[in-house]
Amino acid sequence: MIRKFLLSLLTIYQKFFTLIGYGSCRYYPTCSEYAKWQFEKNPLHTAFFQTLLRILRCNQLFPGGIDYPLTKKLNCKIKKDKMSPIKYWYVPKGKNQYYLIKNFSKGKSC
Amino acid sequence: MTPNQRLILALVISFFFLMAYSTVFPPEEQVTNEQNATTQVTQSVEESSGQTNVDLGHDTQATTVMGSSDAVLAKLTGENYVLTIDTLGRIEQKEMLEAKFADDKIGNAKLVAQTGAKPLYIRFADNDLNEEAIKTPYSSNLKEANLVDGHAKVTLTQKLSDLVVTKNLTFYSDGHYDVQISMSKDVRYYVYLGMHPTFSDKQMMSVEGVMVYSSNEISTIVKDGDAENMTSYVDTVLVSSFSQYFASIFYNVGRDTTIKVDRDRDDNPVVFMEGSKEFSFNGYIGPKDYKILNSINPELTNAIEYGWFTFAAAPLFQFLMFLHDYVGNWGWAIVILTLVIRILLFPLTFKGMLSMAKLKEVSPKVKELQAKFKGDPQRMNAAVMELYKKEGANPLGGCLPLLLQIPVFFAIYRVLLNAVELKGAEWIFWITDLAHMDPTYVLPIIMGATMFYQQHITPSNFTDPMQEKIFKFLPLIFTFFFITFPAGLVLYWAVNNIFSIAQQAVVNKKFAAHKKAKSEE
Repeated sequence: MIRKFLLSLLTIYQKFFTLIGYGSCRYYPTCSEYAKWQFEKNPLHTAFFQTLLRILRCNQLFPGGIDYPLTKKLNCKIKKDKMSPIKYWYVPKGKNQYYLIKNFSKGKSC
Repeated sequence: MTPNQRLILALVISFFFLMAYSTVFPPEEQVTNEQNATTQVTQSVEESSGQTNVDLGHDTQATTVMGSSDAVLAKLTGENYVLTIDTLGRIEQKEMLEAKFADDKIGNAKLVAQTGAKPLYIRFADNDLNEEAIKTPYSSNLKEANLVDGHAKVTLTQKLSDLVVTKNLTFYSDGHYDVQISMSKDVRYYVYLGMHPTFSDKQMMSVEGVMVYSSNEISTIVKDGDAENMTSYVDTVLVSSFSQYFASIFYNVGRDTTIKVDRDRDDNPVVFMEGSKEFSFNGYIGPKDYKILNSINPELTNAIEYGWFTFAAAPLFQFLMFLHDYVGNWGWAIVILTLVIRILLFPLTFKGMLSMAKLKEVSPKVKELQAKFKGDPQRMNAAVMELYKKEGANPLGGCLPLLLQIPVFFAIYRVLLNAVELKGAEWIFWITDLAHMDPTYVLPIIMGATMFYQQHITPSNFTDPMQEKIFKFLPLIFTFFFITFPAGLVLYWAVNNIFSIAQQAVVNKKFAAHKKAKSEE
């Protein structure tokens, strides 16, 4: 519920307000996109904390570049009858940690 | 058109429609309201005689009760105000004589509401006594006084059948007053703080209502129209009934005094406090001017509030006031504030400048990547970002410096909205009131133009051509958006743009010089 609300806020932000400083993020994915992935896949407090750290990192003192969110759990619930398309790739990073990488190519399914 | 485009188009169109609509059909003014209120008040007085409901009888019209048109008992003239006391022993009105507070329609600013409770009104808990009291006029030891340099002592006396009420009031030229109420015997009574007038054309987001500030530094604000059932407070430092720029305040009321906040018919808060046989406290009625309040009693400055954003707006105002003491002009203080923020962010921008030099080596590779991932903006972006990181050269400013601007911007907005000092503050040339919109539209246009130019010379990183298009229109949208904003805020944004342009110009120049040097090697 809160998650959905926060995600919709982020979407609104991305649609309109981000224009003020559009294309100024030093990272891929951008801070708002990073936040969205975080809030989709991680517990709220972790997502909030990680997003805050990311925004604080997003200035000229840091190099920028590719910085994917990390997650601990694999919650790939596959429904029985439906083959849902892949939304995220979980790329393992060490013990129990996965990089979240969004799947942008269409047409493939799980 | 994609759904995205349509949505944005719809938003822009509806915004302009709203703007046009409100100019063609200005909101109706409530002229009849006041007359209605007057009749309601008379009714309520009659009603209260029949029942013991405390909800009624907060307001009493001196003229209706006394049946005489001349209800003014004493008139006190200060340097820039006239204060009148009526036959019910209340502050009938305080009229500010300064031109900056005057309104085209209603003339000079008046600090007490025409209807509703007035400051220092006494209501007795006993109904019969109350009935008698509102029919018995007070007498005063003086009719007129000049407070310009000094103070005036007014003694008001009301002789009821078995009770004598004495109000010893000392008014000072800065707007505060001492109150000492004595009753010839023990009775239960309440003293009212008074209501502030409501303006039909109040500015967006400005808060009006009542504030109770307790000794443990908690301020409770009851906004007009939001008052609920009667609430009692003790251990209060001050209680204030405030509008955008003015307030009626009681302070030094004593720790044990009970302050009650009730609601009137329009759900506006009504404040009164329980008095004792010998009851003394202090009051203030006038503008919420930081320096005036601070000189009377530093605790009074807690009555200045900037809404929920006070925690950021109050320090910002302190800093602006500090700058103002040096430059003597609020407009220049805002310009210096912008410069200071720029200087604080300089380590960041300097780091960015350094990496600029390296960009040249990177740019052919970026072009290469752009060609390689044509039609796949996500992958292209990722590749470009990684390249920037590898080469240690990132032309983008980052989200943090941008997001930092938002609270500053909002705090300035709140300060311009609520700080009475900025009302009628001049800058240069045509700007005569920083707290009000620029009537010539010149400042917003300058703002739009500088913004456009700043965008023009700042590198950015677009993946979506649609968003790039909107981005290019943003200065235009902002110009219209800023037209109604206080001039001080537009000034801040415009100066900010100009500094950004100057900074970017230096960077670009350095970059060009570096490029030249490299090609000559």
